[in-house]
Amino acid sequence: MFSLKPPRPTFRSYLLPPPQTDDKINSEPKIKKLEPVLLPGEIVVNEVNFVRKCIASDTSQYDLWGKLICSNFKISFITDDPMPLQKFHYRNLLLGEHDVPLTCIEQIVTLNDHKRKQKVLGPNQKLKFNPTELIIYCKDFRIVRFRFDESGPESAKKVCLAIAHYSQPTDLQLLFAFEYVGKKYHNSASKANGAPLGAGGSSSQKTPLFETYSDWDREVKRTGALGWRVCSINEGYMISTCLPEYFVVPSSLADQDLKVFSHSFVGRRMPFWCWSHSNGSALVRTALIRDVLQQRKIEQRICNAITKSHPQRSDVYKSDLDKTLPNIQDIQVAFVKLKQLCVNEPFEETEEKWLSSLENTRWLEYVRAFLKHAAELVYVLESKRLSVVLQEEEGRDLSCIIASLVQVMLDPYFRTITGFQSLIQKEWVMAGYPFLDRCNHLKRSEKEAPVFLLFLDTTWQLLEQCPAAFEFSETYLAVLHDSTRVALFGTFLFNSPHQRVQQSTEFAISKNIQLGDEKGLKFPSVWDWSLQFTPKDRTLFHNPFYIGKNTPCVQNGSVKSFKRPKKSYSSTLRGMPASLKNGIISEEELRPRRNSLILQVKPASLEPRDSQDWDAEQFFREWASRPADLHGTILPHLSGAHIKLWKLCYFRWVPEAQIQHGGFITVFHKLSLLADEVDVLSRALRQPRGGPMPASGPELAPSRLYFRACGPHDAPGTPDFLSSSFPFSPVGNLCRRSISGTPLSKFLSGAKIWLSTETLANED
Amino acid sequence: MASAPTSKYNSHSLENESIKRTSRDGVNRDVGEPLPRLPGEIRITDKEVIYICPFNGPIKGRVYITNYRLYLRSLETDSALILDVPLGVISRIEKMGGATSRGENSYGLDITCKDLRNLRFALKQEGHSRRDMFEILTRYAFPLAHSLPIFAFLNEEKFNVDGWTVYNPVEEYRRQGLPNHHWRITFINKCYKLCDTYPALLVVPYRASDEDLRRVATFRSRNRIPATGGGYESDDVYHNAELFFLDIHNIHVMRESLKKVKDIVYPNVEESHWLSSLESTHWLEHIKLVLTGAIQVADKVSSGKSSVVVHCSDGWDRTAQLTSLAMLMLDSFYRSIEGFEILVQKEWISFGHKFASRIGHGDKNHADADRSPIFLQFIDCVWQMSKQFPTAFEFNERFLITILDHLYSCRFGTFLYNCESAREKQKVTERTVSLWSLINSNKDKFKNPFYTKEINRVLYPVASMRHLELWVNYYIRWNPRIKQQQPNPVEQRYMELLALRDEYIKRLDELQLANSAKLSDPSASPSSPSQMMPHVQTHF
Repeated sequence: MFSLKPPRPTFRSYLLPPPQTDDKINSEPKIKKLEPVLLPGEIVVNEVNFVRKCIASDTSQYDLWGKLICSNFKISFITDDPMPLQKFHYRNLLLGEHDVPLTCIEQIVTLNDHKRKQKVLGPNQKLKFNPTELIIYCKDFRIVRFRFDESGPESAKKVCLAIAHYSQPTDLQLLFAFEYVGKKYHNSASKANGAPLGAGGSSSQKTPLFETYSDWDREVKRTGALGWRVCSINEGYMISTCLPEYFVVPSSLADQDLKVFSHSFVGRRMPFWCWSHSNGSALVRTALIRDVLQQRKIEQRICNAITKSHPQRSDVYKSDLDKTLPNIQDIQVAFVKLKQLCVNEPFEETEEKWLSSLENTRWLEYVRAFLKHAAELVYVLESKRLSVVLQEEEGRDLSCIIASLVQVMLDPYFRTITGFQSLIQKEWVMAGYPFLDRCNHLKRSEKEAPVFLLFLDTTWQLLEQCPAAFEFSETYLAVLHDSTRVALFGTFLFNSPHQRVQQSTEFAISKNIQLGDEKGLKFPSVWDWSLQFTPKDRTLFHNPFYIGKNTPCVQNGSVKSFKRPKKSYSSTLRGMPASLKNGIISEEELRPRRNSLILQVKPASLEPRDSQDWDAEQFFREWASRPADLHGTILPHLSGAHIKLWKLCYFRWVPEAQIQHGGFITVFHKLSLLADEVDVLSRALRQPRGGPMPASGPELAPSRLYFRACGPHDAPGTPDFLSSSFPFSPVGNLCRRSISGTPLSKFLSGAKIWLSTETLANED
Repeated sequence: MASAPTSKYNSHSLENESIKRTSRDGVNRDVGEPLPRLPGEIRITDKEVIYICPFNGPIKGRVYITNYRLYLRSLETDSALILDVPLGVISRIEKMGGATSRGENSYGLDITCKDLRNLRFALKQEGHSRRDMFEILTRYAFPLAHSLPIFAFLNEEKFNVDGWTVYNPVEEYRRQGLPNHHWRITFINKCYKLCDTYPALLVVPYRASDEDLRRVATFRSRNRIPATGGGYESDDVYHNAELFFLDIHNIHVMRESLKKVKDIVYPNVEESHWLSSLESTHWLEHIKLVLTGAIQVADKVSSGKSSVVVHCSDGWDRTAQLTSLAMLMLDSFYRSIEGFEILVQKEWISFGHKFASRIGHGDKNHADADRSPIFLQFIDCVWQMSKQFPTAFEFNERFLITILDHLYSCRFGTFLYNCESAREKQKVTERTVSLWSLINSNKDKFKNPFYTKEINRVLYPVASMRHLELWVNYYIRWNPRIKQQQPNPVEQRYMELLALRDEYIKRLDELQLANSAKLSDPSASPSSPSQMMPHVQTHF
């Protein structure tokens, strides 16, 4: 695939590999075979041979020899050497074992041991020394190290500069997805007309993307929301560039009114519907009203309309997220500290004060704050039966987490894989969560913040506390997080659906791509998981503990579908007097009297409470005292001992933290075997002859489970490759070296066109 | 709702399930005594009191005191609260308030328990009710001070398994391939003459003669000579033995650390700064050091180059922890229920961990400096290991909690006295019941469904603060607000699948029987799918 043909016209500035490198290739037949695997539209920018990839921090004995290349999509280390010490590798079809997507790179550090120099490389940088070592700090917490002791010094320098340059693009259209999708369009145009690549495979077709009227309409009908309608006033993004083309509003508000109101809202983001409870209460999100004079009037009109859309004409409960939750800067600061603590700092040195250091990052505090706030809104929607309006200045960050969490807690559909994906489409992608800025794909935004990761983390807390309620596994959540760092999918690339259309139309025109009726280019969807993983590997997304609607179980000796309690939304709480006593004494009685023996007891929630909070507490206690309703509402336990660090996500690359042969995965494995056995039996039963257990059973039908129950002769033990990091492996992915990096922001520049790395390397 | 203190993980209440059920059925109902009793348990008194529940406020109830337990039943209609506390867990009883105390519920008793809780009762000021209750409780909670027998000697429970036969030293040494040409069995301590805190039967280096051992003994603290724990072989035992010292603090530091744990979890769980509060107790740090030491010991032994001499001043606290944990890591046998019982019996009970002094069974001296949660710390380490290797242990969390509950309860003879010679003198095995009798006669309750037996797997836990957790289901079990989901949802799902599998297998067998019946009958037509389908499909 890799060829030395002249670069394509659009990338005029690419270097040819320098001659001395060519000689080496020719004189070393072994190296010659080391060719990168490239995707359509992917081009090698620069490369260097005889590179050592460091595997262990403390010794070079395991190092691998190979070639390091930089393409317009990734850095790739190509080697013939087998990976030492590694028992398992979870393969991504888009990336080789040693590859790092350019958008996953956080910081590039070059060093020269002999000259005792180091430099953090930004784009368009000069490098005054020949690097002997390159360290890549990745956004997914990996730290990868390469040594150039045996490489051509100039080639090494050029590769480093190329990586620095191409990983820090200055324009959205320089992200690889554009080149990739453009190539696809060109290829398909030469073959036949029609859509080049369907929005994705079968799985993505099942996930509603909420790009169309009908997706929203179906969602309104699915939730049984009466009094709400899909409105089309934003078709062609005529009203707002950060709202979807279609959204749902109270039926009583006319298009004309909405158009008028929209001017008063920040970003013209007027209130739009997210979801409705079966009791009729709706969840709505909105930006703030900018126009102070109009504020009262418009608020009144909209509240009235939402009230009208409620079957009981209940009041509206407003939740001002900016006032109650940490802001995105807080979240980013916490995340940076967490990362510093988890991977950058030496393991042993952080042990003694680990717990307080973890507390000081405030990450878990924020996880808890979001869960708590969402749980309180669940109470308002379900028990108080009020519609809830989430207010946030722009309504594009905190609202995304809270709206999603509330729905995950209340609606079992969003705890299935398809449902969860549709939720992300609905509340994040379509609702205008600025993925581009928050993921910082262009490495220039002071707006970087891991709001989406925080949502995945809070979801993980729920999954951890209530595993039977979720169809997906924590591997799925971790892989989903990783996918935000692969700049191939349109899903996580843009600040809004409008930006996708606008940017890709511009790109299409410049590339002479005929779009026809399409609104912008069709980028691959992340929900088309077949692009990244084999069917077998995708089975790891499935949580074997999940009890779905049709999960069979044994009841009184007969097999039935799992019995679902009829939607019993708050049946126990309905009409309960506020001062109800049932075993719980009121706050008044709890207060210790003078000389009393009563221990100084604080109520479980710390703040002094008004009666509403008291009811809420009652609601949570009632909920906690009942067995979990897997197909109803689930709520988090919020005590300090319940909110945990998501170790798979944050420790998977840390070799010292890896539990060999242990971790939760061993239980996952054990249960998978049993679940598979049950599946095989159930299939055998369904076979007409009900004959003997087919010996070839596992081969006949693809299993939904990663781990298969084998024949009776296979060893039943725990596979040797399981560890607490599974399916990821820390080997070679966390080569720390203590350096004090300079913040990237120092090296930012605004050039939109790639500069020649040749020029850069030659300047001194 | 208010039944906080009878958490599902209180093994005392669990074992009484059957008793409660019979009384509900009206079979054994005695209106005057709605109180579960063990055979040999005698009711002493009962009183109306106010139980000051730290979670739900004052609750009026009737308290029953027997020679084994304190039992409280709520008298309020809207509360089903039951307290069931063996007197053995009581470490201290204090009077609160005086004759002149004013204010409601200001006069009564405060009872400090060894299992990280306090019980407070308010009593009427008139009629000596407090004095009576105080005296009776003191008498039966601290029988040693009143020349009364510990309840274990009065307990007449019968089990169909005899737990005292679980551990047989000769058999256990044989399982380990001992004696061999490196190690020999000696009866030098037969009548506990050499060392009264060691067992009668010892395994010692082959080349060390009994005369040598006697000489060595005089130099060792309390004559405790080196003897094998795990029976690890080596060519020249003392030449290749490696000595290393571990930076683990003494028993007093551990005691204070546990006190701090109680401070942050009872009655309120510290909320806003949970992690730093936990850190300030240093409890997990101590757990980490013990585990680290055990890993080092295990690693040295398994590398095969050296035997390990584990040292501490007397050889019965740290030594027991390190050897038994190292053995758990190296030898999968000890990860089974029976293996673990043998491990405790051998490394702790037989080798003279001073249970009586560390726990203070029946002793009123709550401030005794010899008391320390060394065994609790060991069980905590085992729990940490079982968290990291959830399929490696045959026993579950309830097993560990039950052991800890009966470490204090004095219902069984298992943990009584400081050493084997004292136990023999008191004829403990003849006069008391073993805890293992209770457990082994109802093993299913203590089994980990995920257990995967793996004979030769060595397991090294990661002794890092990143993985160590506070054992919430033990230390915070009295707080109803911190309730962990019970039953564990993951475990529950597994049990459901097991039931489903059994059901399917049953049906397949039935189908096959039906098929083979047809095949053997030549007149029958070949089984047609349409005949079979409806039967099977009705269930899907």
